[in-house]
Amino acid sequence: MKIWSEKEKMSRDELRKIQFKRLKKTLNHVYENVPYYHEKFKAAGVKPVDIRNLEDLRLLPLTTKEDLRMNYPFGLFAVPKNKIVRYHASSGTTGKPTVVGYTKHDIKVWREVIARLVTMGGVTNEDTAQITFGFGLFTGAFGLQQGLEKVGAGVIPMSSGNTQKQIMIMQDFQATALIGTPSYALHLAEAAQEMGIDPKEELFLKYGLFGGEGSTEEMRAKLNEAWGIISTENYGMSELIGPGVSGECQAFKGMHINEDHFIAEIIDPVTLEVLPEGSVGELVITPITKEALPLIRYRTKDITKLDTTPCDCGRTTARMAKITGRTDDMLIIGGVNVFPSQIEGVLLGIKGIGSNYQIRVLKKGYLDRIEIDVEVVNSDLLLSVTLLDKLYKEIETKLHTILGIHAGIHLVEPKSLTRSEGKAKRVIDLRTEKL
Amino acid sequence: MLISQLSVFIENKKGHLSKITKVLKEAHVDIRAISVFDSAEFGILRIVVDKPEVAAEALKKAGHVVKQSYVLAIDPSDKVGSLYDVFTLLADNDVNIEYVYSFVMPNNQGSPLIILKADDQEKAIALLTASDFSLIPKEDVYNVK
Repeated sequence: MKIWSEKEKMSRDELRKIQFKRLKKTLNHVYENVPYYHEKFKAAGVKPVDIRNLEDLRLLPLTTKEDLRMNYPFGLFAVPKNKIVRYHASSGTTGKPTVVGYTKHDIKVWREVIARLVTMGGVTNEDTAQITFGFGLFTGAFGLQQGLEKVGAGVIPMSSGNTQKQIMIMQDFQATALIGTPSYALHLAEAAQEMGIDPKEELFLKYGLFGGEGSTEEMRAKLNEAWGIISTENYGMSELIGPGVSGECQAFKGMHINEDHFIAEIIDPVTLEVLPEGSVGELVITPITKEALPLIRYRTKDITKLDTTPCDCGRTTARMAKITGRTDDMLIIGGVNVFPSQIEGVLLGIKGIGSNYQIRVLKKGYLDRIEIDVEVVNSDLLLSVTLLDKLYKEIETKLHTILGIHAGIHLVEPKSLTRSEGKAKRVIDLRTEKL
Repeated sequence: MLISQLSVFIENKKGHLSKITKVLKEAHVDIRAISVFDSAEFGILRIVVDKPEVAAEALKKAGHVVKQSYVLAIDPSDKVGSLYDVFTLLADNDVNIEYVYSFVMPNNQGSPLIILKADDQEKAIALLTASDFSLIPKEDVYNVK
């Protein structure tokens, strides 16, 4: 399997040297050119000169989405407006979006990191790639387009929606790679079948490069099965560059971070302490080659872990595990950090129950208590109370084994849990603020 | 000789039985026998009705989890020790009883009948028939004369 750049195979020592050099340059750049960072560093009592090695990175203050919002639209830009050649923005579901900008150099870096993950996914200049991300302010479509073209693949800029036409073009243009979100890719496969087209036999797809939202191994299996493709996942966010922070190789052991462009740390989302390699925590990224919007220690709010052990593919870069949750969703139950996604993982692995569930967090006296409503869907369990009881105990035991907490389980009827349009409201926290 | 029984999942909460029986009422289904088996957290409602297919369909449509399975209806004759005879006969022949509940039918002079679920139903039927216990055919349970 081809590796796009020699930079992906550097020794860890060599890589760390480059990272430190680029970090120093970036720190000086923001300190001199972004007044907000100058003040932020001052308040934290630290100057770029105080950073003497990579470990010193932790002395610097963290950056959050709030910092970007407060500086809307261009307050954190480190170059004058005439150097900006492209703007993008996050969707901004509440209030103002977060705006990002790119210089010519930034676009070049972006193209390079995308070329790497495209290559990891199996795509070469022989391929024709259909992009189903929306072309617009969102970074996904443009990001992938540039990198795919750099690799030499033919790009079909379909954009999002128009499902039937997507299938027609995919068939007529003989697209071999599908680019988009995993959920839309599943939707497309169903749509093809409804149109009487067998996605495996009558279409030409070989690879799926998915991103823009989290995905699970179960989802990957479904996608591979539905399309007859090899799916890989890639990760990024507009604040950092867009897609291109990391991508999955075909050893499927995590997403390789483009570490010569991004420094990754894992922190405890509560204490904000940096955690040792292998610990699960919040991913913090510092881009070290960006000119227009160089953010320092940006909190992604995504939960993952890092692994720098050698990968079967030959790349030496650190790999991040699939995102298992968002710190926004984290619950602290009696001092134990619990993510709804962990609970979901346990529940989805148990037969006889539905995929819908609801978590309630309550206080009983001084103690936190978590209760989970689970829908019973398998009518065969009604043959005896013992079978239902077994299911009940299985859920309880598995949750305790994996989460380390005792949860109260309520078996409820299917469809009795409220369904919300779009994003499901899975967690209701009934704890009062006061003790 | 096997009689259709519906098992319905019930949550231990107020009004659930009323909700389920409302569905049956609206589907014009007549309940012949009823029993609830419960634990602290949930229960299973077991019913024998005159139109099992109609009832199952209506309950499923209303969002309930329903399982159709088969049980025996026995007339043990109304005298001291008759149930003992039934249970002993089955036990002596290695047939386990999973559950049992009783009901009355108007055309049986008010004497109680029992619904019985055995682990080996065929064997139970053979044993009971050979020992002259009266098994009630499903038509008699579904259609009250």
